[in-house]
Amino acid sequence: MSAQFTKNALDEAAPARGWSREKRTRRDYRHWSGVFGGPLLGLVAVLALLAVWQLLALARIWPEQIVPPPTRVWEQLLVTTDPHNGQGGYAGATLWQRLAVSLRRVAYGSGYGIVIGVLLGLVMGLVPVVRVVVAPLVTFLRALPPLAYLSLLVIWFGIDEEPKVYLLMLAAFPPVAVATAAAVSGVNRQYVEAARALGARRRHVLGSVVLPAAAPEILTGVRLAVGVAYSSVVAAETVNGADGIGGMVLNAQRYNQTAVVLLGLFVIGITGLVIDALIVAVRRLLSPWRGRA
Amino acid sequence: MPTSSRISRRDALTLFGGIASASALAACGVGGSGTPPSTTSVRIAFQNFADSTLLVKDQGTLERALPGHTVTWTAFDSGASINTAFLSGALDIAVIGSSPTAQAICPPLGIPYQVIELLNVIGSSEALVVRAGSGITALAELTGHKIATPFSSTAHYSLLAALDQAGVDPGGVTLVDLEPQNILAAWQRGDIDGAYVWTPTLSTLRRDGTTLIDSARLAEAGKPTMTFAVAHNDFIASHPDVVDAWLTATNDAITQIGRDPAVVAEAVHRQLGISGADALAQLDQNIYLDLDQQRGADYFGSTAAPGALADRLRDTAEFLFQQKKVDSVPELATFRAALRVPEVSDGS
Repeated sequence: MSAQFTKNALDEAAPARGWSREKRTRRDYRHWSGVFGGPLLGLVAVLALLAVWQLLALARIWPEQIVPPPTRVWEQLLVTTDPHNGQGGYAGATLWQRLAVSLRRVAYGSGYGIVIGVLLGLVMGLVPVVRVVVAPLVTFLRALPPLAYLSLLVIWFGIDEEPKVYLLMLAAFPPVAVATAAAVSGVNRQYVEAARALGARRRHVLGSVVLPAAAPEILTGVRLAVGVAYSSVVAAETVNGADGIGGMVLNAQRYNQTAVVLLGLFVIGITGLVIDALIVAVRRLLSPWRGRA
Repeated sequence: MPTSSRISRRDALTLFGGIASASALAACGVGGSGTPPSTTSVRIAFQNFADSTLLVKDQGTLERALPGHTVTWTAFDSGASINTAFLSGALDIAVIGSSPTAQAICPPLGIPYQVIELLNVIGSSEALVVRAGSGITALAELTGHKIATPFSSTAHYSLLAALDQAGVDPGGVTLVDLEPQNILAAWQRGDIDGAYVWTPTLSTLRRDGTTLIDSARLAEAGKPTMTFAVAHNDFIASHPDVVDAWLTATNDAITQIGRDPAVVAEAVHRQLGISGADALAQLDQNIYLDLDQQRGADYFGSTAAPGALADRLRDTAEFLFQQKKVDSVPELATFRAALRVPEVSDGS
């Protein structure tokens, strides 16, 4: 396990080093693609996709209620963000208010999930007996679709915020627990032994050696967890979640307002990308040595 | 490590390939049985509530009346999903409530289907019940309380119609969108003060609640909610014989409810798994009209003298328009055109 860890670190470090050297030698060649190519290419791809979509919608192969054109979705963005359109955005709340409500739920859910996941993962990684007992349970929970246990959460915790936050928490903690357990048990024994030899106590070893060494993997787990929590928000809002963005998608689906459904999905997808990018940035900040060797 | 991962990847690919081909085969099987070249397929959507159509389904009346036809019955949870299925051309005939029907007639949906029959007028099987401990005794006292109902349903329409009638501002009442099973859970925990919902959930709520108003009283006050049978325009044009067979079979079932509802309750019990007594109680709470009565002036009327049903549908559409769920409400003529007077053409 420890050998694999060091090998992984080297694997990740090697291309990074190689790339920077290559970049230095081929600066002129790389200039355009490096500065403009990436974002520009992405933008062109998105625009091309939008154009194909618009053309497909204009061709009227399917009714507009099944494939609405991108312009309709854009119109809905303007309508649903306008609090003075007679229905306060969409059914009483604007898109941004809904996004804030859903993001708060995701923040609470994944926050609790991450705390529980890291603590459980630490114990699992440090105490093999706990790992053997708990790992199947965590895997079991991971295999359950959130919608399936939502009914139970509603019976136990009602219809307000609790079942939604608990659902997101249950969806978020297994990836963190699994990643933390693997990372902790995969920390190079030599680091631990060296620290012990230098006179470190158990809690010092945990705080100064094990956690920093495991941090990148734990943050990968966190990244997965937030992704899972965010993708479960529509499921969480099937019960009395009409004020959130998932609730908007469900309500629009019920009235066959396909353009609003698409708008909701785009907003969820794009904010998901932004959140993911933020977590990656945090990971780089917390473990700068990773990928640079 | 590399070799073992390569082997497992190959195994995984084989496994996925197997699953994919199996599901592809299964899809072919379904497609093949649904549309064999020699027979006409009749695709019917029904919903899980006690109704005369369940007797027709249970006894296979339609299948016997239409030899050489393949009849498929599909259960749907809501009128909205039925509308979606019609849009994608997956249905021929459906059992659907008056709210989603009105929505389908209005732009932007404009689904090309016609109402071919009035299956029932919803009576006391849908009602507004408040908790015994909530202290609410009249509609006017609902302000500030939390009331649940499944949104976009006939019950949702009735709840807002009831509030409107009592002069209560719906904005002052906390309306919660919940499915019946979640209403039950929320009620038992005390999370909601009341609910406008249908049986069998309603029967449970009534045990420790007070009924403020029900759909029968709203119907008397001119705000009826109804269950329809609708059929796709193309299907009506190409298969009038199937529509006739449908009308004959359901009309027999409707008269059967009047004659001896126990037989129908038995069929509902078999189809839905609810107890015979519950089924009987549910059947009792709606108003059933045979084809003659449906042609009365309050409903379809005749082709020469259209009845008031189109006006009622337009009222429902107006309500949906206030809720911003439809773009506009078309002229009465559009609603009249969406109704097909229920007559069996061969006079049987």
